[in-house]
Amino acid sequence: MNDKAILLVEDNADDEKLTLRALKKNNISNEVVVARDGAEALDYLFATGAYTGRDVSVLPQVVLLDLKLPKLDGLEVLRRVRADPRTKLLPIVILTSSNEEMDRINGYGLGANSYVRKPVDFNQFSEAARQLGLYWLVLNEAAPARRG
Amino acid sequence: MSTAKPASNAIATLPQLHPPGFAAPSDPLSDYFSAENHQRALLNILEDFASEKNGLEHGLRAVLNILDDFDAERARMQGAQRAAINILEDSVAEKTQSEAAQRSMLNILEDASEEKARLELTQRAVLNILDDFEFEKAKVELTNQQMEKEIEERRRIESQMQSMNTELLAANKELEAFSYSVSHDLRTPLRGIDGFSLALLEDYGDKLDEDGRDNLHRVRAATQRMGTLIDDLLSLSRVTRTELILKKTDLGAIARSIALELQKTQSQRRVEFRIADGLQAFVDPHLMQISLENLLGNAWKFTSKRESACIEFASTRRDEDLVFYVRDDGAGFDPAYAARLFGAFQRLHDKKDFPGTGVGLATVQRIIHRHGGRLWAESAVDKGATFYFTLPNTKHGGGTDE
Repeated sequence: MNDKAILLVEDNADDEKLTLRALKKNNISNEVVVARDGAEALDYLFATGAYTGRDVSVLPQVVLLDLKLPKLDGLEVLRRVRADPRTKLLPIVILTSSNEEMDRINGYGLGANSYVRKPVDFNQFSEAARQLGLYWLVLNEAAPARRG
Repeated sequence: MSTAKPASNAIATLPQLHPPGFAAPSDPLSDYFSAENHQRALLNILEDFASEKNGLEHGLRAVLNILDDFDAERARMQGAQRAAINILEDSVAEKTQSEAAQRSMLNILEDASEEKARLELTQRAVLNILDDFEFEKAKVELTNQQMEKEIEERRRIESQMQSMNTELLAANKELEAFSYSVSHDLRTPLRGIDGFSLALLEDYGDKLDEDGRDNLHRVRAATQRMGTLIDDLLSLSRVTRTELILKKTDLGAIARSIALELQKTQSQRRVEFRIADGLQAFVDPHLMQISLENLLGNAWKFTSKRESACIEFASTRRDEDLVFYVRDDGAGFDPAYAARLFGAFQRLHDKKDFPGTGVGLATVQRIIHRHGGRLWAESAVDKGATFYFTLPNTKHGGGTDE
């Protein structure tokens, strides 16, 4: 298993705790960086604001992105990440409560790599976390890091 | 002709043998026999005769003149006559010509009168047409007025519809926002309730007695039911929100694939599906899939207490309508409560016997209504149930509009 960080963009503290619990339960020991709104997520990725000085070339293995977020919503975060050459190829999984058609269309339209709905049943949620970890941290080969 | 006079005088004076101006001799004999006298008398006679001859010549000449004159006169007359004849001839020709002209004039006049008659006829016809036109015009004007009224009415209705449409669009937008919010925000706390209940059970289950653990299980079950309700409610509202895309659809094929899925969920059950061939319809395939999932799912559910069951999907003719139906031989329902069947969250059976949220038939009804059709049910307790629906865009005999 890869030791790169997971960026979890989640404003709900319960969901944050449950996600961390689900990841832990499935033996996913990667560092999880939590951003509680869209602006914070971009600060982390582009080493601005609270994350000034962070090495921008070090990108998370995967971003778990909620859609309904304070300040910048998930789709806007996605748009900006895809518009920047440094993060254009970063794997982004939308992990959200809704399965609204428009969210799915817009999510994939803006270049999301995956769309997963958070189930109400924690057992199902835990299973989803297990599969996500297995796929994005083990199976999937990310694009090579950008040089220069 | 004055020359004729002396001739008649000469004849009249002939018996007088002595020349005028000579006195008769006193002694006629002696005188008579006198030589001188005799010579003189002869001379006189000769003279008289000469003059008489002169006169005669005069007369003759006069007669000749007259004759000459007469000839000239005659020639003139003949000329005149000829001229007259010519004139007459000319006049005859003229007359013939004029007669011809007259005839042709008559012909022309006749023609003209025919023409006139025809013209009159035409004129009358034109007048009739004008009359008709006036009538027609009046009619058209009346129609126009009616149409204007209708147009005005239609405009009024249109503007009314437009404002209603605007309201509807606003309402739809609001519903959309509401659904979006429900979809995101209402489910999140449920995940927390369920997740932390499970965390309690997992981490502290050994510190709880049986009753405590049972309570936590109930919390989780209720939470998950709430989650299902929200999902059903969202799918019900999605049925109203999504655009209707009509296509020629094989309802039988959809039903067969649903039947296969149902049989997979409980492969031990003995349920015969009788799905008719040629159940073609002009519908939104996605929405009709949801309808049939609900109807066949209900039939599957309400026959679950039977050892073996039969579920039928076919079409029949009722009056002028092509009616599709899903029939089962399951638990059925009391027809007294039939009116409550299609209301959201209305249930006619105990949840313990037949689980469900009561949203399914409300969803089916919305889908059928959106297709302009009707949905109704017939049943008796323990006698099975039949759900009928019509799809007006689908012609008789399973043919389709396209």
